Amino acid sequence: MIRFWNKRLKLGVLTQDLEFDEELEQIKKAIKSEVNKKFAGSLAIRMVDSGSCNACEAECNALANPYYDLERLGIYFVASPRHADVMLLSGVMTFNMTPHAIEAYKQIPEPKWVITMGDCPLMKAPFEKTFAIKAPANNHFEVTHHIEGCPPEPREIIKGLLEFLRKI
Amino acid sequence: MRFIARYAKDLGKNFEVIDVFDEEVKRVVISKENPSIKTLAKKYPSAIWFERKMSDDFGIVIEDAFDKRVLVHQERFPHAIHPMLKDFKEKEIEFSEYVPYKYEVVSGDGIFQVSVGPIHAGIIEPGHFHFSQAGEGMLHQEVRHFYKYRAIEKMLEGKTLFEAKPIIERISGNESVAYQTLWRDITAMACGVEIPLEMRKRDAFLLELERVIHHLTDLGFIPNDGGFGAALAYASKLCEDARRKMKELTKSRFGFGSINFEQSFWDVESIKIYLEQLQKDIDFFQDWIMDIPSIWDRFDTTGILDVNNCVKYGGVGVVARACGIVNDRRLNQFYLENGFESVSEVSGDVSARFKVRLKEVQNSIVMMRNFLQTKSFSVELDDVKDGEYMSFTESSIGELFMSIDIKDGVIERFFARDPSFINWQTLHLMMRADIIADFPLINKSCDLSYAGNDL
Repeated sequence: MIRFWNKRLKLGVLTQDLEFDEELEQIKKAIKSEVNKKFAGSLAIRMVDSGSCNACEAECNALANPYYDLERLGIYFVASPRHADVMLLSGVMTFNMTPHAIEAYKQIPEPKWVITMGDCPLMKAPFEKTFAIKAPANNHFEVTHHIEGCPPEPREIIKGLLEFLRKI
Repeated sequence: MRFIARYAKDLGKNFEVIDVFDEEVKRVVISKENPSIKTLAKKYPSAIWFERKMSDDFGIVIEDAFDKRVLVHQERFPHAIHPMLKDFKEKEIEFSEYVPYKYEVVSGDGIFQVSVGPIHAGIIEPGHFHFSQAGEGMLHQEVRHFYKYRAIEKMLEGKTLFEAKPIIERISGNESVAYQTLWRDITAMACGVEIPLEMRKRDAFLLELERVIHHLTDLGFIPNDGGFGAALAYASKLCEDARRKMKELTKSRFGFGSINFEQSFWDVESIKIYLEQLQKDIDFFQDWIMDIPSIWDRFDTTGILDVNNCVKYGGVGVVARACGIVNDRRLNQFYLENGFESVSEVSGDVSARFKVRLKEVQNSIVMMRNFLQTKSFSVELDDVKDGEYMSFTESSIGELFMSIDIKDGVIERFFARDPSFINWQTLHLMMRADIIADFPLINKSCDLSYAGNDL
């Protein structure tokens, strides 16, 4: 464990060590101020997967790694829709998952917003419409913002969240 | 004989039911007028999901099955519909009346039920787990999935292999390269071409990189679920580095579109430097994590899968190797020549699965060095010939199987069996001696795919 702390102290803060560092730092600053202004310092997101390939979830998990560390900006992924301000929706809205996604949305207290991510919720991913797919998502929700990409990279998700914050 | 898969095809007037074992493939034709067949699940318990899926998809009756509940068609699904029949062409179906699903439960005085999912408390895929509890102890657990059922088997019918490719690579984001490798094998077989050694090496490199990424994610998340968050911070940094490498090589952080018949141009020297660093970081991680007793106190003897149960269910991949079964599709000359060493543990618990992953990452780095090469290759593809093609590979989860029938140049039937489809069925066997608070740890130690399972 001592060796770990030695390494840790030598390495310093990883988030300051990026090639797109400056751009990202600016976005992060902007996000922090928007979150402070509009959500009193903390924006709570409930991520709902309605039938993705799991790549979007992996990228959202990546937001917590030491390179991005989203939580220090006041943005949290929460465990229950009842704790959330925003539903972040990925996937093609499968037949089996649609009722549950709608239920999750209902459980979010007002005011609430829906952000879609990835190409799936708009049916722009290579998947084609079948009987088991109920996308596009805006048939079911009023979607405030969309983060495109298949899947969007962590940096694009951060940018997308900033655009959302500016919109509302 | 190890059971691998059971699936059906619609032949017009008849159904063909295909049973795939490791040593042979059995086929039986049954008439559509009386579509019934005997169960395999009495001998091979994991056949039951395949059979329930067959009943949902085709309306085939499994005469003596002990479990005839629906599998894919959930509460609101119109039950008279069998969408894999060729004459089913609807693109839209309406929600029908809610018919409750009858869970397998243990009941009695003071025993209560706990339902978890489909939406879980983290950023993960949807699936449902139903527990019968006596206090904290788990008496029984039923895994219920197919919330992500996108009907990909049906979606791909009528497409050419090349039209199907972008969909096949997105069946499961964690195993994209593995799915693409099978697509490559089947396309090469159908076009009657030999895959050049240089190309196989490139693809094997990417498959190992995908395995490294997946294992690194788990090497962080498993200790995190055991209450040691620092490991997640460390491993997720390595995982991010590996994803960026994947993007540098394939233009996608998940390797989408990476396996094709075109030449790739890589900067071999920079990859070597990267692998060198990764090796050092992993060795450091190993020294560090092995020395933390609180972690091993949590991992050891948690979630044991008995080797006999694993054999009976035909378990595959990391789960099987962690209980001493050497079952790996990479056990062949090509991989052995490039430094493949079979990894296994015997205790079958969370710590065994963790150690298997750690050792596999180290072995993958050795192989990736050997797969690097600078020779060029070119492949001329002929026309696709009709026929039935099957292929196997070892994804980061375990043995992946795909079978594609081609008729008149387009896909007539697509079938893929994700390793998760078998391993999910072994999950409840790991719970017998543990408390419900151990469940997330046990589940994560297997890290199975929901998307690949549900298709």
